[in-house]
Amino acid sequence: MTERLPAAFAIDHGTASTTAALIAHVDGRARILAAAAQPAGAPLDPLLAGLVGDVRAVSPELLERMDDWPALERFESATRRPPSILVLGPTEAAVAALSWAAASSGWRISGRHAAEATQVVAICEALLDPDLETLLIGAADPSTVGERGQLADLLAMMAAALARRPDRPEVVLAGGAVEAADRFEGAALIFAPAASQRAEVGSDPLRDLLAGLASARTDARDPSALPDGRVALARATASLAALLDRRIELVDVGASAGTRILADANGILGQVVRVDAALAPREAISDDAVADQVLAWSTIRADPATLRDRVRNLVVAPWRDAAGDGARLRLAAGRAALERLDEGWRLPATPDGHPADYTADLLIVSGGAFDVAPAPAVSLALVDTLRRPGAMALAHDHARVLAPIGALADEEDRRRLLADLLEDALAPLGSAIVATGIHSGRHRGTLRLTTTDGASDQVELVAGGVQLLDLPPGLVATAELTTRDGAWLGVRSHHLAVEVAGGLGGLLVDTREIPLRLPDRPERRRDLLDAWQRPLWPGTEG
Amino acid sequence: MIVLAALTEAPIVPATPAVIEPVVRIRLGLGDRPLVAAGVHVAAGDPIAERLRDPGLADTRLGGIQEPEPGALLEDGMPLGGKRRKVASPGHGRALYVTPGGNLRSIVGHHVEIVQAPAAGIVQAVLATAIVLRTDGIGYRGTLMTGDPTTGRLVIGVARPDDELPVAAIDVHGAGAIVVAGARIDVEALTRSRAMGVRGVVVGGVVGRDLRSFAASEARQRAAIHASPPFALLVLDGFGKRPIPPGVWAALIEAEGREVGIAADPAMILLDAATAIAPAAPDRVRAAAGEMTGRTGRLLEVVGRRRLPAGVMALVGRVAFEAGGSGQPPEERLVALADLERLGP
Repeated sequence: MTERLPAAFAIDHGTASTTAALIAHVDGRARILAAAAQPAGAPLDPLLAGLVGDVRAVSPELLERMDDWPALERFESATRRPPSILVLGPTEAAVAALSWAAASSGWRISGRHAAEATQVVAICEALLDPDLETLLIGAADPSTVGERGQLADLLAMMAAALARRPDRPEVVLAGGAVEAADRFEGAALIFAPAASQRAEVGSDPLRDLLAGLASARTDARDPSALPDGRVALARATASLAALLDRRIELVDVGASAGTRILADANGILGQVVRVDAALAPREAISDDAVADQVLAWSTIRADPATLRDRVRNLVVAPWRDAAGDGARLRLAAGRAALERLDEGWRLPATPDGHPADYTADLLIVSGGAFDVAPAPAVSLALVDTLRRPGAMALAHDHARVLAPIGALADEEDRRRLLADLLEDALAPLGSAIVATGIHSGRHRGTLRLTTTDGASDQVELVAGGVQLLDLPPGLVATAELTTRDGAWLGVRSHHLAVEVAGGLGGLLVDTREIPLRLPDRPERRRDLLDAWQRPLWPGTEG
Repeated sequence: MIVLAALTEAPIVPATPAVIEPVVRIRLGLGDRPLVAAGVHVAAGDPIAERLRDPGLADTRLGGIQEPEPGALLEDGMPLGGKRRKVASPGHGRALYVTPGGNLRSIVGHHVEIVQAPAAGIVQAVLATAIVLRTDGIGYRGTLMTGDPTTGRLVIGVARPDDELPVAAIDVHGAGAIVVAGARIDVEALTRSRAMGVRGVVVGGVVGRDLRSFAASEARQRAAIHASPPFALLVLDGFGKRPIPPGVWAALIEAEGREVGIAADPAMILLDAATAIAPAAPDRVRAAAGEMTGRTGRLLEVVGRRRLPAGVMALVGRVAFEAGGSGQPPEERLVALADLERLGP
């Protein structure tokens, strides 16, 4: 939004829902006046008209000059369904490395095959599939002796299949496969470096190239030509980290993919976009095991077949049935997605060889799954799944304005708008302290919370449990943990003090194990999850 | 209070519209043989390809003879070349590729099954593994389809879109038909339909467990019996009990007794263009989720944001629902707009 214009809409077009926020200059700075979401297929103008109507009804003076609201500037981003890619390699190891590079950079893997005699029919079928758009084949650079024979066979298969296709699928040749470029005359070839054998989320030449290709492919499909929402989200996270000079982590669970980004003042440290970390992956329709990954976090009492069908309906129409048990199912799906985002989250070691630092000062959550749950329950979902010792502030991109802001081309514009909107855009969920090593018994330890206004409160810690302490938004406090046997908060000590910020969900103190151990039996697991979640979710009926 | 120019502008997802002259793809296997060429007009049920049964991979040493083109059709025993040492095709099928070692890899089997056009239309393209057909009529997309594309005369098996088809109602009179089975069908009814010669079932919803049981039963049957007729299950709305959406129901009623088709890619019911129905009034809506699922009515007003169960805040509208099946009286309800579908334009 430029200084000349009084207001603008920030619009995030998701695959399942569209969110719009009305931003206007109030008292010399930009503020979010209203925000709302609707299913993606519904017309946009009524949503925008509704925002204007909401503001007019409450504070008409704010919109005096806005009779012509349809002409207002719009910052827009669009998140689209990830494109699909077929991954081929001479060996299982090569295929695994290539698949990680593609699956973590925003591609849906339509098939993955190593060159084995038993795979010939499947590989030929995949190569001739009319839906094939992009093909990734790679080997070590240079290819190893063990790979050469298999790679030659695979390339012969590819050349024969591509000769039968009237279209021109994009072919990414990685590492040693580049040498075979002259076999594919007329094909749309892209040369890429070999896949790294380390499945990490830091910058990597092949992953970076594939991420760019994924974004370009989805952009090319969309006639609206709006900037890619996932790219924009990463840019906004980096801008925010630079603005605040803090380590910022963002997790976004969308209907078609999940995104996780860690950035500091120098830029992005790690990033993944995973289709299998979508709110309810499409594979849940055909694969009970995928649906069961959601049910493993569910607190709803019903027979598994019915619940699996509810998960499948979440895939079919993610916007429907969002109240009551539907809200709890969404948060369970959100947890399952966060768990998958955490599975492969490995940052590279520092250049001087030190282990990577996974901490973040602020963890931001975004996505429809978290709109339907109260703040303490969202905080719990985050510490349930992204488990690491320490203290962090938690916030919610409730109006989904980060992606539209990230879509602004100019870094200065992004930072200026973020600086203005910080308090409005990021709803403070509160803070979380995850401390391990606290034993049950007579001397479990205490937590003293002293706010900046001088108020003090002390609670006895509960070993292996979750406690919620009231700490309203706007307050900052010092949390002091005192234990006889010592607690682990990234460092081990008998006495630890950390600064925590207040929020809608207060302060969540989590002394459970890392990783979280849950019972194998579904009923016991559900009861335990329910026992943790129920006190944090008002209005939960028996 | 939400200010809207008209109720017709309420943010509600439109119901699945009819697709005019939908383009569908009939998937082929590697060794299948198309019987049509691009540009040809076919009628519903016309043979368009031969399916290769029990396909297997064959390796043939070429010994330096001219390599067959990838995709070339092979006949059993057909000479491929060679002067001193004659090289013959290993069977019916297609050449796939020649390995770096000089072996022809081909897919061979028996061409015994006929693939039929699921609707009348023009063949747009014949690809290596698909025939693209632009059909003449209209189509309604479903959530999923399992089985093979098929055709048959349409039989409405239930009185209302939210009824369920009892197993006992399926008999030999359904042979060759595509049966509309209401809001849900279980695995017993599906298996019986298959056994009675029914060619397809159209249903609002299906329980995932039943779907998987049926798919497993189909796989066993196909492995045991040669040349079983095609059978398709088309699910229109989702999983569990899901009444057939009113627009599709009305079109199906119009199409009763006519020849219809079920396509797999995309999952779609293909109907005669004459069965197209007039659009509903602009304020007509259907509850697609929640307590009122399947009920239709008129959207009276958009009330604004309200707190729903579990504390969820959502935009809701007041809907005058009509009487539903099983004696449900007309009633007015507040319903989340996200749970509604707009039936009108």
